[in-house]
Amino acid sequence: MRTRGRGWIDSRRRLVRRRLLARSRLRLLAGGLTGVLAASLLAACGTSSAATGPVTLNFYQYPDVSGATNTIIKNCDSQSHGKYIISYQQLPSGADGQRLQLVRRLAAHDSTIDIMALDVTWEAEFANAGWIVPWTGANKAAVVNGTIKPALETAMWKGQLVAAPNNTNTQLLWYRSDLVPHPPTTWAQMLADAQQLAREGKPHYIEIQGAQYEGNTVWFNTMNASAGGTVLNPTATKVTLGAPAVKALSIMKQLATSPAADPSLGVQMENDNRLAMEAGTAAFQLNYPFVYPAMKADNPALFKHFKWALYPEVIPGVPAKVTIGGIDIAVSSFSQHRALAFQAALCLRDKQNQLIGATVGGVPPTIASLYSDPKMFPAYPFHTDILYALQHGSVRPKTPLYQVVSIDISHLTSPPAGISPLTTQKKMISDINNALQSRGLVP
Amino acid sequence: MAAVTTTPRQKIGWGTANVVVVALALIPVLWMVSLSFKTPAAVLDPSFIPAQWTWSNYHEILSTATFTRPLFNSIGIGLIATFISVVLASMAAYAVARLRFPGKSLLIGMSLLIAMFPIIALVTPLFSIERALGLFNTWPGLIIPYVAFGLPLGIYTLSAFFREIPWELEKAAKVDGATPFQAFVRVIAPLAAPGMVTTSILVFLACWNEFLMAISFTSTTAARTAPASLAYISGSSQFTVPTGPIAAAAVVITIPIIIFVLFFQRRIVAGLTSGAVKG
Amino acid sequence: MSTHTETVAAGAPAEAPARRKPQLSEGARAERRLGWLLCAPAVIVMLAVAGYPIVYAIWLSLQRYNLELPNQVKFIGLANYGAVLRSPYWWHALWVTVLITVVSVAVTLVLGMLLALVMHRTLFGRGTIRTAALIPYGIVTVAASYGWYYAWTPGQGYLSAMFNNSAPLTSTYKAIAVIILAEIWKTTPFMGLLLLAGLSLVPEDLQKAAKVDGATAWQRFWRITVPLMKPAILVAVLFRTLDSFRIFDNIFILTQGNNGTESVSILAWDNLFKALNLGIGAAISILIFICVVIIAAVFIKGFGTAAPGADTGRR
Repeated sequence: MRTRGRGWIDSRRRLVRRRLLARSRLRLLAGGLTGVLAASLLAACGTSSAATGPVTLNFYQYPDVSGATNTIIKNCDSQSHGKYIISYQQLPSGADGQRLQLVRRLAAHDSTIDIMALDVTWEAEFANAGWIVPWTGANKAAVVNGTIKPALETAMWKGQLVAAPNNTNTQLLWYRSDLVPHPPTTWAQMLADAQQLAREGKPHYIEIQGAQYEGNTVWFNTMNASAGGTVLNPTATKVTLGAPAVKALSIMKQLATSPAADPSLGVQMENDNRLAMEAGTAAFQLNYPFVYPAMKADNPALFKHFKWALYPEVIPGVPAKVTIGGIDIAVSSFSQHRALAFQAALCLRDKQNQLIGATVGGVPPTIASLYSDPKMFPAYPFHTDILYALQHGSVRPKTPLYQVVSIDISHLTSPPAGISPLTTQKKMISDINNALQSRGLVP
Repeated sequence: MAAVTTTPRQKIGWGTANVVVVALALIPVLWMVSLSFKTPAAVLDPSFIPAQWTWSNYHEILSTATFTRPLFNSIGIGLIATFISVVLASMAAYAVARLRFPGKSLLIGMSLLIAMFPIIALVTPLFSIERALGLFNTWPGLIIPYVAFGLPLGIYTLSAFFREIPWELEKAAKVDGATPFQAFVRVIAPLAAPGMVTTSILVFLACWNEFLMAISFTSTTAARTAPASLAYISGSSQFTVPTGPIAAAAVVITIPIIIFVLFFQRRIVAGLTSGAVKG
Repeated sequence: MSTHTETVAAGAPAEAPARRKPQLSEGARAERRLGWLLCAPAVIVMLAVAGYPIVYAIWLSLQRYNLELPNQVKFIGLANYGAVLRSPYWWHALWVTVLITVVSVAVTLVLGMLLALVMHRTLFGRGTIRTAALIPYGIVTVAASYGWYYAWTPGQGYLSAMFNNSAPLTSTYKAIAVIILAEIWKTTPFMGLLLLAGLSLVPEDLQKAAKVDGATAWQRFWRITVPLMKPAILVAVLFRTLDSFRIFDNIFILTQGNNGTESVSILAWDNLFKALNLGIGAAISILIFICVVIIAAVFIKGFGTAAPGADTGRR
């Protein structure tokens, strides 16, 4: 096979001597790298001392590329008159990633988190685990005053206010006025309109969030609430799905099996809906207002026919109860500057800053009076409709185990074509019951 | 090798094979590049060539430290972790391949156990340890786990290389009066250099690619690595998925690897084929 | 054909010198000390980093521990394992994982072998081939997955357009096919490299002799190359199988495990990080580990793959 004679071995020895020289160079490099490692270790162990001067409050929020957050923070820093400086710490851009980072560190009692921007579904979980501090007294009064009711509801748990609503969001019906001169007011009408358009060979899809994720749970919750139902009882101990849920499920199924369904419905999220509408294949879209400036920028020709209306009703004559989204600001239980954190949080979500968030950051405010502020009108020509939708809005089931409940719901309602109303409703009841007992696995 | 005559037919055959390999390997990469040049409106168009070109995606990515710093972190953490891992693995691999001592199978078993245990289950306890030691969101906080989880791969690959080296060399060194340690350092280690380079490359790529620990053990750009930073790229609204910037970021992460591979492809293959027959 | 080889694939066949009777001579003692000394740093690092977490994970799997209810931690023995094994989600995830593993490893083996042959034998442009072939291996998996995701999205991607604007990610088995494709693209280079190492050990003289005897390329391949490469093939397949069984990144980006495409790792992620059910999540992880150990055992004991360090003979 292989033969290596002595000559080869001798030549190898000579090579070794040459390599000794190379090795000393390697030692130098090793020394250098060790130095770098040591330096970074020292940096890790080192502590910064800030004996006097303004307190740094760490504010954890999703990444905001619009610059609104930076402006707001500057405002609050100057308003504090040197008492604190807010440091903007970015979380991942997806809600799941944000929650993971926060939960992991709060469970470890991390004291470097002071203020957090929470998605509206996390309050029960965080409050129940003792990770956020309830708002009381004057602070609470300042938050409650003038805030839209459903938005306030998202921040309540067991009768206490545990966070301060900062911004909110709701869905409208967006449609093409060149295809549909008069927007439908009910789901039945919208489905009929879509069928008619399909028969005429025109673009006819109804864009909605059918992927297996939180947005799909929002769709179900909206339909269920609009049909007059709830998911859980107020103490989150029992599942209360009933006939309204069956009605909601049948409409979802009806959409999914009609010509109005986009072929990608089963994997569509808000962004995909927006893209389909901009591409011109859809006639209707149930989505958040972010689609408006996007359509203006991406397809000016189509923008001329791009109109909005209120979310279609499930029960004719009864306004739809669209499930609201948004962000509430909370103070961490492990913060070492609680009083200052409350002050800063109050400032971050005060009227002036919410206006900046709305006009620069594109996030609708939670203070009702802002909706009649003329500064809002250019960016929100639909401000009346949004306010109406918000005031009639519904919230998602409040329970510390919301994540599991949500997964259980969207597991059954996505893809929507797979729904079979009665069976799905029964399965949903038993799955959520299991979830409330912390029994079994999540898919 | 003796002169081999190649017929034109053979040339065409191998040429076609070459083209197929390169095309299959690179088309998905070119797709990413094309996506990175598309404007938000052009994303709607499925064609390979962007209907509207723009540099703005790259501008957005590279203008803030939100992305360039993680790139720097990735390179630094990867290099340091690889270096330490290969050094430790060489020593252990040599012992495993060429020495007799009790507990060898225990070592093998342990490294196999670590290589096979799902990292998902280890993230939470490791996170607690790192926080307790103040290593969270630091370079050592990622370097140390990378070294530990790179060792099984390193030990395995290197022990294969050490086995290649003929026994006579060590005997000759002993005859010359060297201690086993000197034999290792002066004679064996240099011969395993190609193997070490190959192993370094494999370990570096593993560190570069690593996502789960990178996203769990960091919170700011101080220690965040490139793969994790992809999760922080956001669009103009919370619902907009920034296709262009994500593609641009993916391309920027890939460029160092392409350069790296260009430099070292000879070494990688040479290292692996060092056992080829010598006439 | 040797069945139980004692050498690792990339290594040369053993040249066995005379074995000494084991006695603790001065030399042997020095050797032992050196052995322990050389292994010590690696062992210390591995134990320090992974030791406690592994033990903690095992302990967790025996508790009822939900991170949101930190005051209700309770020892419940094997009840978590029972819950997992009774759950249809676990079995479906296992089925999906096995499907993905078997198909992707099989296809990667064939493609990897072809790639190894091209890398070994091509007449020109070897450097280019190797660089191009290694790039998929070097790209960060999540970055590549984003590329595949957009490519298969109707209206945005070239692949979806090629297949008549279909949306494969919306249906379970088509989505699994897309995932398998992404896996194959990513891991064929690694397989190709390992097989190339084995390929380069096949002596040229045998090939030449066979050619002279009139054997065709096909015959040469199956009668000479493959049998001699068997150790390399087994090792490559073992490594790929172990990795493929724990597939996560590609599925996470492409489908997030929705629509019935979740693998066992995604199931562990969902229960551990979304539901924050540490007990169940740990139990699922341990079960994944047990499956992986079984696979490795089957390969090593059953097919005779050489485990690292199995060869203790001196040369």
